[in-house]
Amino acid sequence: MLFSRRLMLGLAMAGTMAGALAVPAMAEGPTEIDLFFPVPVDGKLARDMGTLIKEFNDGHPDIKATAVYTGSYDDTLIKTRAAIKAGKPPAAVIMSANFLLDMQIENELTNLDNLIAADGGSKEKFLGQFFPALQGNAVINRSVYGVPFHNSTPLLYINADKAKEAGLDPNKPPQTWAELTDWAKKLTKREGDKVTQWGIAIPCAYDYCGWMMETLTMSNGGRYYNEEFGGEVYYDTPSMLGALTWWNDLVHKHKVHAPGATPGPAVSTSFISGNAAMMMLSTGSLTYVRDNAKFNYKVAFIPRNVRNAVPIGGASLIIPAGLEADKQKAAWTLIKWMTSPEKSAWWSRATGYFAPNMAAYKTPDMIDFLNKNPDAKTAVEQLDVAKPWFATYKTVPVRKNLEDEVMLVLNGKKQPKEALVAAQKAADETLKPYNAETSLRLP
Amino acid sequence: MTFIDRLLKNAPLATRREITPKLGFALTVLLALVWLIPFLWMGVATLRPASDGINLMAELMPSLRPTLDNVRDAWEIGDFPRYFINTTIICSGILLVQFVTITLAGFAFARLDFAGKTPIFYLFLMQLMLVPVLLIVPNLRIVAQFGLYDTLTGVMMPFFASAFGTFLMRQAFEAIPTELEDAALIDGASLLQRIRHIYVPLSLPSFSAFAIISVTSHWNDFLWPLMVINSPDKRPLTVGLSVFTATAEGTQAWGTIAAGTLMVIAPLLITFLIFQKRFISSFVTSGIK
Repeated sequence: MLFSRRLMLGLAMAGTMAGALAVPAMAEGPTEIDLFFPVPVDGKLARDMGTLIKEFNDGHPDIKATAVYTGSYDDTLIKTRAAIKAGKPPAAVIMSANFLLDMQIENELTNLDNLIAADGGSKEKFLGQFFPALQGNAVINRSVYGVPFHNSTPLLYINADKAKEAGLDPNKPPQTWAELTDWAKKLTKREGDKVTQWGIAIPCAYDYCGWMMETLTMSNGGRYYNEEFGGEVYYDTPSMLGALTWWNDLVHKHKVHAPGATPGPAVSTSFISGNAAMMMLSTGSLTYVRDNAKFNYKVAFIPRNVRNAVPIGGASLIIPAGLEADKQKAAWTLIKWMTSPEKSAWWSRATGYFAPNMAAYKTPDMIDFLNKNPDAKTAVEQLDVAKPWFATYKTVPVRKNLEDEVMLVLNGKKQPKEALVAAQKAADETLKPYNAETSLRLP
Repeated sequence: MTFIDRLLKNAPLATRREITPKLGFALTVLLALVWLIPFLWMGVATLRPASDGINLMAELMPSLRPTLDNVRDAWEIGDFPRYFINTTIICSGILLVQFVTITLAGFAFARLDFAGKTPIFYLFLMQLMLVPVLLIVPNLRIVAQFGLYDTLTGVMMPFFASAFGTFLMRQAFEAIPTELEDAALIDGASLLQRIRHIYVPLSLPSFSAFAIISVTSHWNDFLWPLMVINSPDKRPLTVGLSVFTATAEGTQAWGTIAAGTLMVIAPLLITFLIFQKRFISSFVTSGIK
């Protein structure tokens, strides 16, 4: 019975292991809370997040926060939802700012109004700390559900050396789509049929693609979705058709943009390597570009076709629903600490995201930093024309309905019009249950 | 042609002068080279100093000044020894329990008679059609109810029973002649003794084929451990590695990523190189190709 004996031994070992691992951390003393965070930047910043949380714990002996890495923005949403449904909600999450509406519809968020009131402040005063453009994604039905933590806008990055080489003035960056197309043509280099340098690169991977489509649509005068109501998206509209047609033309007509759907990291890599002379990318990549570019670069506003407008991006801090009161309180303390002017300024310098707290720009370190790195100002200046990030019922599937079709267009498998019709149809289907319960539920 | 000729040295005499086997070998060598490129790149990128910049990153040519800085960075960012231990515990724990469950279940479906055997077997197989993502919330709820949220046991639990393994063992057991079992029965062997002394030894190739599939798939699993584990010290390799590979709006440090990836796959790769022959033969004999 050698097998059985081994088996029993194995089982006994597995059992001991399970026992040892399953012992819950029962301890008197500090309130233990988890902070879920996606890593929007490279691994060194995951380490910085550890530093940040350690500093918080050292200053707050009654709270013990643990930073839990949770993958991409999309993965973080899945993990948070699964944890809430399993009865183990984390105390706080750095959540993609456009997921808040969907989570609020599903009753997964704690309304922060009471916590703000308990501190003796008013909602208006609390929100007044942050740039006005960010409030659209934090406030739902006049209640506060999120606290902006790190935010972004898309930017146009230009390789200034290559621009000069091509006879263009990098100090007068393109301001309209026509000028941008012209620049891209002049910056594309060919050897026979082979392109050795692309004029422009725009990322299109899940998450990024939807954001870039919103960017282009907005600068084409349009809207991606109904900002007042989570049941409508405007995919099959002239403004979005114009945006996608222009993108498609860059790829297939002017041939100044590499074909296919390029992920964000590939775009920044090809910009840094000189393979692409311009790129549209988040300000979240600015620190990376600053550290790695071996050439002079410029950042500029996203050019317009009809108007100057961009969506915000980035993430807010939220408290999931269903937490015990003491954990909720501890999470609130953590959130206030992390979004304070000093901390959000520090995080902004480390990442390239801008600090949502306006007072962050009045801290001495930040003033010093901006004097040395004036390029970090562009995203903040662009906030004047920034609007909320698309947020609907079931944001991720509705976004993917569009992204799948846009990828087909960039791959040359569909024409813009037929792609947008298909995307609209798919999105309407995804939104149907919500509309049946809201706008189509008639008295 | 000399290289191919050398490879063909051991080929049967009759085929040595034919063109087809030579073409076959040539194609194999070509495919092997293509397959090797990412590994070569990973090795080169790992040793390339960061000061070479991103411009040279795509090149396969090794740097003249190789450095271990990337390895050190990756090692410092992630607690790799801890991740290794966790992944090993997860993979071996799952496999141990699976061996018991698939042997017993496979035997029941192959040799025992009970009411509703066929429908139950098909129900079992239906599990293979479900996308794992679909089961995340129900599984996590059960894991949390058992008090196993944020434990390694919680990561292992949903995989203790395996539809694929049961199917594989059922096929293997059915191929074994019943006469062998009858003989053991006459000698007075109990049910478990018959399984232990007849079925298990004769199905070893299937067991090792299953072990390979089970270990590699759980070694590489990312989403489920990400869902269950919160504590940084319980992260498996995949989750630990992704701390510096997954990015949303930012960018990536390729050298560090290459070094980290190398550390993650090294144990599997080394195991494969050592047991190469046995791996391949177990797949051939179990009919999986």
